[in-house]
Formats: sequence, structure tokens, C-alpha cells
Amino acid sequence: MRELIIAYQRRVAGFAYAITGRSDAVEDLAQMVFVKMARAIDRLKTPEQFESWLFRLARNTCIDHLRRQKLRRIFTPFGPEHENVPEPAGAVDSEELDALRHALAQLRPKDRALLALVQEGRSHAEIAETFRTSVAAVKARLHRAREQLRQHYNSDET
Amino acid sequence: MKPEHEAWASLQGHAAAQITPGFADRVLLAARARPSPLLVAHFAMCAATAALCLAAVAIYQSGVADDATNQAGWSEIAAQASDLEQGQ
Repeated sequence: MRELIIAYQRRVAGFAYAITGRSDAVEDLAQMVFVKMARAIDRLKTPEQFESWLFRLARNTCIDHLRRQKLRRIFTPFGPEHENVPEPAGAVDSEELDALRHALAQLRPKDRALLALVQEGRSHAEIAETFRTSVAAVKARLHRAREQLRQHYNSDET
Repeated sequence: MKPEHEAWASLQGHAAAQITPGFADRVLLAARARPSPLLVAHFAMCAATAALCLAAVAIYQSGVADDATNQAGWSEIAAQASDLEQGQ
């Protein structure tokens, strides 16, 4: 189990960061994903689908985290100064990373997850299974998400 | 600025750097841990509240049924008394 966590920790961290855009949440989210994995791996019937199962866990954990945050804001309304707290100083150390992070933040969380899954090398069929939708719908959404990301990424550049 | 795919690589590298040494061991420790007492207490409180609500509803319902029975009894007595009065 330890080896499995070490083998995937970088990828899961990258995935969580792409969805949440917060450096300070990455380790906690990755820990939640791997704890769920450790507790549920015995119930995984098809070991060859381990990766898509793990990234489905990661996706659901990140989306739940964002939903909880949103819900918390309903009960504890933030002031305008707390709505978009910037990353801690020095957290984002390159221009292109900052631009990508900013471009991703303009997309819906589900589209971010979609793009992050593609970056993880998941096939359209696997993504369709994760999102419980058709391959055609995944392709259409992916096309739209890529276009939006490119637009925002390039607008940051100019 | 570098192309987008290089930015993705940079993003993944940055995220990976947030994982501190000993991460896997901490995960395993957390996975083996029982649910926190706070969580158990929270569920216990929810269960107790639900039980109290059910008990209150049951008591209220039995009170309503008793009232109906009593009212029917009193109506019968009143009718009998009225009959007796008319008989005299």
C-alpha cells in the first residue's frame, strides 16, 4: 500500500491542484483521496481499472471539497476581501503556471476535472465512465473546455 | 510565455512539491485510525435528537387518541344522563 501511495502521490497532487487551484489544499486533499483508497481498495473487483478508479475517487473528493466550501460560504458569508484570497507569497513561482492557474479558475470545476483527467492520460471512454456520460458528450465538453482554457490562457498572456 | 503543455507540466511539478516527506506514512496512519470521537459524538447526538423527536411525536399522538376516547366516553355519559332526565 505504501508503494502504491508513493507511486501515485505526485499525480494525485497535480490533479487536485488543477481542480482546486490552491497549493495549501493539495496535501490535505491528496491525503483524503489515499485514505479513501486504502479503506476501499479491497472492494475493487477489477485491479486493471485501478487508475481510473483512483482518479474517480480523486475527482469526487475534490468536487466535494469545492461544494463544501461553497456551502460553508452560505452559512458564513465572507467579506469581499476574503472571497478570493490569493495564493501565499512565493507559492506560484512562474508566469506560465500562474496564467494556467488563472485560466483554469475561470472554468467550471467539472471542466477543470475533465481537463485534468485528460492530462492524466485517461481515455475518452474512461472519462465517460467517470462522469457517467457518453463518449460523444465527453468529446464535446472537452472541446469546449479546451477552447475556453486556451482563450483565458492567451488573454492572460496578452 | 511557454506553451500550454509546459504550463501543465509546471503545474504538476508545483503540486507535487506540496507533498511533504512522510506523506505515505501519515496516510496509512490516518487510514488505520478509527473515526474520531468527535464524529462518533456528533452521530450519537443526532441519533439522540431523532429518538427524542420520535418519542415526542408518539406521546403527542397517544394523547390525541386518549382525548378522542375520553370525549366519546363523556358524550355517552352525557347522552345517558340526558335520557335519565327525560325519563324522570
